[in-house]
Amino acid sequence: MSRIDPIQALRAMLAIRAFEDALAQRKNHGFQLLSTGEEAVAVGLTSALGPADQLLTGGRSIGPALARGVPAGALMAELLGKVDGMNRGRAGRGHMSAPDYGFFGAHAVVGGNISVAAGVALAKQMDRDGGIVAIMFGDGACGAGALHETMNFAALWTLPILFVCNNNQLSVSTAREASMAPAALSDLGVAFGMWTRTIDGLDVAHVAEVAAEAVGHVRAGRGPAFLECQSIRLRSHSTTARETRSRAELAELRARCPIQRLAASLIEAGLLDAAQFATLQLEATAAAAQAMAHAEASPYPSAQEVLQHVV
Amino acid sequence: MLYDQKPVTARMFFREAIKRAMHEEMARDPRIFIMGQDVGAFGGSYREFDGLFALFGPERVRDTPVAEAATIGIAAGAAAAGYRPVVSITYMDFLMLGFDALINYGAKLRYKSAGGLNAPLVVKTTAGAAGQGVAHSQCIEAWLMSVPGLRVVAASTPEDAYGLMKTALRCDGPVVYIDHKRLFPIPGDVPVSETAIPFGVACVRRAGTDLTLVSHGYMMRPALEAAEIVAAEGISCEVIDLRSLAPMDVDTLAASVARTGRLLTLEEGQTVCGVGTEVAYRTFERTGPMPWIRLGALPAPVSSNPVLEAACIPDAGRVADAMRALSAR
Repeated sequence: MSRIDPIQALRAMLAIRAFEDALAQRKNHGFQLLSTGEEAVAVGLTSALGPADQLLTGGRSIGPALARGVPAGALMAELLGKVDGMNRGRAGRGHMSAPDYGFFGAHAVVGGNISVAAGVALAKQMDRDGGIVAIMFGDGACGAGALHETMNFAALWTLPILFVCNNNQLSVSTAREASMAPAALSDLGVAFGMWTRTIDGLDVAHVAEVAAEAVGHVRAGRGPAFLECQSIRLRSHSTTARETRSRAELAELRARCPIQRLAASLIEAGLLDAAQFATLQLEATAAAAQAMAHAEASPYPSAQEVLQHVV
Repeated sequence: MLYDQKPVTARMFFREAIKRAMHEEMARDPRIFIMGQDVGAFGGSYREFDGLFALFGPERVRDTPVAEAATIGIAAGAAAAGYRPVVSITYMDFLMLGFDALINYGAKLRYKSAGGLNAPLVVKTTAGAAGQGVAHSQCIEAWLMSVPGLRVVAASTPEDAYGLMKTALRCDGPVVYIDHKRLFPIPGDVPVSETAIPFGVACVRRAGTDLTLVSHGYMMRPALEAAEIVAAEGISCEVIDLRSLAPMDVDTLAASVARTGRLLTLEEGQTVCGVGTEVAYRTFERTGPMPWIRLGALPAPVSSNPVLEAACIPDAGRVADAMRALSAR
């Protein structure tokens, strides 16, 4: 049984897709890491988080931030370096934060965000406010020492933290099989006695359901959990990185698009028709255009701001 | 005299001064907690946390695994989320393992969040040579001074160890607090009343007229010893203890050098891109160029071999030689 309203999930995934498309289409959009193909992980995971919880991510932060409810206009402005961004445009994708929305932030040194997240989880544990922390990272981060050190701490101290590996199968150009030895990445949590699961990260309802189970485990004080969501990356690593996969390979991956998959299942179940789906897509495109217009209308900071908020 | 104007002081060791500051501040602010290797019942490698575990318990005095990177990362995250962690890194050399969290995250957090978040974290670590070899002896404070958003302090007396730690624990951003292995067994007088020493204020340890020596940490001891030696030869050396490397008290440095007309910088770390070079540049920006000698470790790793270690690091004899050479210019 699904724990997420499938139409709402579809809207949220379409919002991310349209937002990232609008960003990618804009000239001079900067160095962006998009999550096309990975929307079900962000939407499924965030459906399981409450307002007292915090989400942290690595540099692939845009989809998760939107899914967590960060306003699209402020987010777009932040990504483009404009003053109406949540951080006055000075953090960008790699380092933005909006803790009021439960998005504690990104830290784009791969693996480095993970121990920071455990620190936020330690604060939550000491606050005794019932909140938990979810930390999203990629398969590439699984080789980082920071992850292994942090998992040990989290298990030792029973920290309220959910490790979410968004395994999009590629670390820039290096295949997951070529970079990580374990059979499943969630096996990394086994040595520390964690609740672990590896799931299909393209099925948003399933992600939502298992994420809720994992969050429940963590919230109940039973220790950290490690959830591996196997997803796909439909774009190159970043908007400035070259694509390393063949056209045929990409076509095969596109056929597995989590959004198309959800829409098809809803249409098959009679919960959605093609016209309604088209309308939802148009709405998402319009919202992204509005976010872009908001960002375009916002100015860049003045150069005098360069020395503000240093110490 | 019954009513002396001087503050009432108590004699204590460096490590006791640190512990006293920690104790007072932890009692005042429940958000302060300690984490590090062997800081709990063991009391810290130099017993600088002795007794705090018994007073504050395992939630506020936390032993950690050997995992400097995650320890500093967790502290940075907890700091960003409202706490005031003190991380003990046994040797400054090991701080390198935690640079990502300290430098890329903690020191930049206020900036990157446009003032929305900060990381009031204190990394307490121990610099300097004491026979422990090439990866347990370094003084890398100059690396840290170049990081925007990071404060760096280094005490040379128990009084300053106490007062600088008080300020560090009230500071709204990451602080690297550096003590020195050879200072731990040295006692000093510490005011009995609670006295915080502000960052960015240097201390003139000895007045002089012929040259100005600027140093910090353990090197203050050979500095003062050398000043005493050359005084007998008629050379009057003013000795300034930086105490706070970032921010730096350029006013005091420049005023002194403007008077004496000569600068000797002394550090235990490397002179290339070192503390002394920074001191000289910022001083001469105010005073104009003056005769200057920079003294520091030789450009070699600091071995545990007693002959090679002593050969590498400045001592009072070498400092006195530099004073003589400089005063002759």
